[in-house]
Amino acid sequence: MTSDTAAAERRRARPYDDADLSSLAFWSSTAAEREKTFAALRAERPVSWHRPVEMQMFEDPNDQGFWAVTTHAGLVEVTKRNEDFLSGQGIVFESLPQELLDTAQGFIAMDPPRHTKVRRLLTAAFTPRQIRRITEQIHENAKRIVDDLAPKGEADFVTECASLMPMHNICDMMGVPDSVRLEVANESRYAGGWNDPELMGDDPVLPRLFQAMMYLHEVCGEMITARRAEPTDDLISGLVHAEVDGEKLSDEEIKSFFGLLTVAGNDTTRQSTSHAMQGLSEFPDQRAWLMADFENRIKGAVEEFVRWASPIMTFRRTAARDCELQGQSITEGDKVILFYQSANWDEKVFDNPSRFDLGRDPNPHVSFGGGGIHHCLGNQLARQQIAAIFNELLHRLPDIEVSGEPVYGVSTFFHTVNHLPVQYTPVT
Amino acid sequence: MRIVHNDKVCSSIGMCESLAPEFFEIGDDGALHVLNHEFDESQRDLIQQAVDACPTSALSIEE
Repeated sequence: MTSDTAAAERRRARPYDDADLSSLAFWSSTAAEREKTFAALRAERPVSWHRPVEMQMFEDPNDQGFWAVTTHAGLVEVTKRNEDFLSGQGIVFESLPQELLDTAQGFIAMDPPRHTKVRRLLTAAFTPRQIRRITEQIHENAKRIVDDLAPKGEADFVTECASLMPMHNICDMMGVPDSVRLEVANESRYAGGWNDPELMGDDPVLPRLFQAMMYLHEVCGEMITARRAEPTDDLISGLVHAEVDGEKLSDEEIKSFFGLLTVAGNDTTRQSTSHAMQGLSEFPDQRAWLMADFENRIKGAVEEFVRWASPIMTFRRTAARDCELQGQSITEGDKVILFYQSANWDEKVFDNPSRFDLGRDPNPHVSFGGGGIHHCLGNQLARQQIAAIFNELLHRLPDIEVSGEPVYGVSTFFHTVNHLPVQYTPVT
Repeated sequence: MRIVHNDKVCSSIGMCESLAPEFFEIGDDGALHVLNHEFDESQRDLIQQAVDACPTSALSIEE
């Protein structure tokens, strides 16, 4: 084991890479701009050491920088080496206060053996079989959203469509009442949106984040009390009555899972749906190809939608020990950041990666993860929802198209689209 | 040839089910069920893929 001071000394001695992955300017640019930097790193320096990210939530004197893993192979390797690269010390780039880590990141920031048991508990609600069971409900939600959209003729696709689909479905699964859904979805945006000037306005970051978490926990707390008194068939009720190692989960743990599922369930599918709408407008030939045999082509198309969107741009691991990674010597305690967009554009794996190719096969994108123990729990749910909403949209509003410039959010985490104007012939 | 499943390390991630749903299924209890332990030579590649894809090395093949 390396002592803390020796490890810090080793980090200090390491020169920073010239490529900029750390500045606010880099994260405020577009995916196409960022890809230029990623392409150079993938080609020459697939695991590179960088200065700490500029937009810290608080001043952390111990943050000395991070390793950037930009290739597909590197990302998959780190993902699978979960004993060398841990999640328990945080899953985002920036250093977070421990209190926020504990309350907000749920089991995504857990390591085995606890992760194993908790994951199994939650898995039951997300199996392919379970998702098939709620297919009807997912289609109903898609229909309801397009019913509201149809007569308008123009809309903000993000707020009036893409964000509503996951909101209803994840809330249906967890049992969140209709009356608070919009606010739950809105508050959940702060978890990944603290760098976004549009979302934050003049609010100070940490207090606003805590306020959002408090709200989510309060909603969940009321649900826990109600389910404890009277069990229902939703996920929160399942967690209230479940046991791990003969013990019930604590209210704090359930609230933490609720926070995680709300954030992960809303933001990811919203981004993928928005980016896909944009891709379909930008590549009319691909849209025509999809519509020529929608039934048989949508499944593969959804895979390309989520590759194209890369809704989560980064996840972090922390080195558990001194070890080697793709030729670099990693020191215990080093932050290792996985770049999903870069891996999804790796020309060693994807032919012509900047083409939106709905027939791409195989399509081993890493948008749901690189195949490790934290692989996206909601991947089946996400796939079903995206297929369902585009089934309604593209058949009922056949000329729907992006009609103005998208407004992107600023984040190191979610690939956020805040607004996306669309137009179509109204249908009443 | 037989599929061996180590329930103690399995996290029910479901990579095996996504590759070979006719052999693997996560049940309503959140546990992985091997639907069919026996397989023949023609299915070997598929099963090997499922074994290799398991993030917790919970699957193996017994000759």
